[in-house]
Amino acid sequence: MSSSSVSELKERHIAATETVNSLRQRLNHKRLQLLDTDIAGYAKSQGKSPVAFGPTDLLCCRILQGHTGKVYSLDWTPEKNRIVSASQDGRLIVWNALTSQKTHAIKLPCAWVMTCAFSPGGQSVACGGLDSACSIFNLTSPTDKDGNIPVSRMLSGHKGYVSSCQFIPDENNYLITSSGDQTCVLWDINTGLRTSVFGVEFQSGHTADVLSVSISNSNSRMFVSGSCDATARLWDTRVASRAARTFHGHEGDVNSVKFFPDGNRFGTGSDDGTCRLYDIRTGHQLQVYSPPHQQQGGTVPDAPMVTSIAFSISGRLLFAGYSNGDCLVWDTLLAKVILNLGSVHNSHEARVSCLGLSADGSALCTGSWDTNLKIWAFGGHRKVI
Amino acid sequence: MDSTSQPNGNDRPPTSRSQSNTTSSNYIGKHRLTAIISQHNQQIQLIQEELDQLETLGEASLVCGQLISSVESSTDALLPVTRGPADGGWDRWFQRANQSSSSRHRRRWI
Repeated sequence: MSSSSVSELKERHIAATETVNSLRQRLNHKRLQLLDTDIAGYAKSQGKSPVAFGPTDLLCCRILQGHTGKVYSLDWTPEKNRIVSASQDGRLIVWNALTSQKTHAIKLPCAWVMTCAFSPGGQSVACGGLDSACSIFNLTSPTDKDGNIPVSRMLSGHKGYVSSCQFIPDENNYLITSSGDQTCVLWDINTGLRTSVFGVEFQSGHTADVLSVSISNSNSRMFVSGSCDATARLWDTRVASRAARTFHGHEGDVNSVKFFPDGNRFGTGSDDGTCRLYDIRTGHQLQVYSPPHQQQGGTVPDAPMVTSIAFSISGRLLFAGYSNGDCLVWDTLLAKVILNLGSVHNSHEARVSCLGLSADGSALCTGSWDTNLKIWAFGGHRKVI
Repeated sequence: MDSTSQPNGNDRPPTSRSQSNTTSSNYIGKHRLTAIISQHNQQIQLIQEELDQLETLGEASLVCGQLISSVESSTDALLPVTRGPADGGWDRWFQRANQSSSSRHRRRWI
């Protein structure tokens, strides 16, 4: 082939790059124009007062001890009291959080587990990790000769580690995984096959490892993913070829994503030390939650990274675990830290790596690199209006 | 945990810098450039669609109002002040009837 057609292509490449960059700038500028306020500004203008906790309002009421390694992931059942946790010790443990008892301890075929999830019916648990697969265990299965629950289904196909998994609400047979191979996958557990792969076409999805997924409770066809490419993406499970929307703003890996209870917003937590709240219909970044020691609008070297987030059942509280052991409780409407569970009595002694709310919203479970899980609930005087 | 990619997600043919053959390196250069231009065109389309959509979207303040309404109309067991009805099950974490000689502070609700 003649070299002139290569140089033609190079010119087209330069022109296309310039067009992309200038369009992006226009888009960012237009978006900024529409951001006439953030949630905190609006809430203050409406005279909203911050949530005020007394010193003993949010109490650690259970310590779940049993793992011998860092806890990496946890998930509650929809029916209130059970939790599954995954640890560096290569085990899943199923707990009755109310009684603190372990009902199952599953020794995993691959010890390098990163994520776990409970099925909606509570009969199965799923986990995944560096084996690049998602394994399903049926808790009612008879144990093998070593006393272990066997794998009932292995979901193989990812070309990288499985970072996160979640069952589709009300569907015991479908779950979504996120992976270091830059894709998310919707699996049919009955067949073990991939129903859809999100982002597999070049440049249609994430451009780096995907670290987290969250499925909407109000519309289970929608889910969001968070990635090392510093974006979160919204997906419709019926459209695998491209993300419905991409959310920019973070300046580091997006480690955790969680749908807001109303299903129209979602939160993110990032290596850049901030949490953010985005609106899925407009794409607006509604709020940045930046801890007091951080400078506004910029990253501070060595700022603690956000490892995991969860919302209280109304969305009024945002819980965020950080790499320095902090576990901040944010008033989401006023963007103020109202409590640090990392510095109260009975706090964890190391990083909080995962957290989640019980189905009825009455308890928060935190999992830590100190090998424990803790349950927190409101033990103060509650005013019901 | 470190978030490093596995190396095998790339479908493009590898470029060998040790190749001295101009024709084959031009071919590989053309192939890559064509692919990148195609991606850019896809991106241009997506960004343009988003720009068009933005013309019809309201400002953030509209959304903030909706969000605050939805939060304030929901019940929340972890808030000191919350809309009702309260669920008696919320207090189960502090009812230690099955434990003997617990040192934890026991609370009751009226």
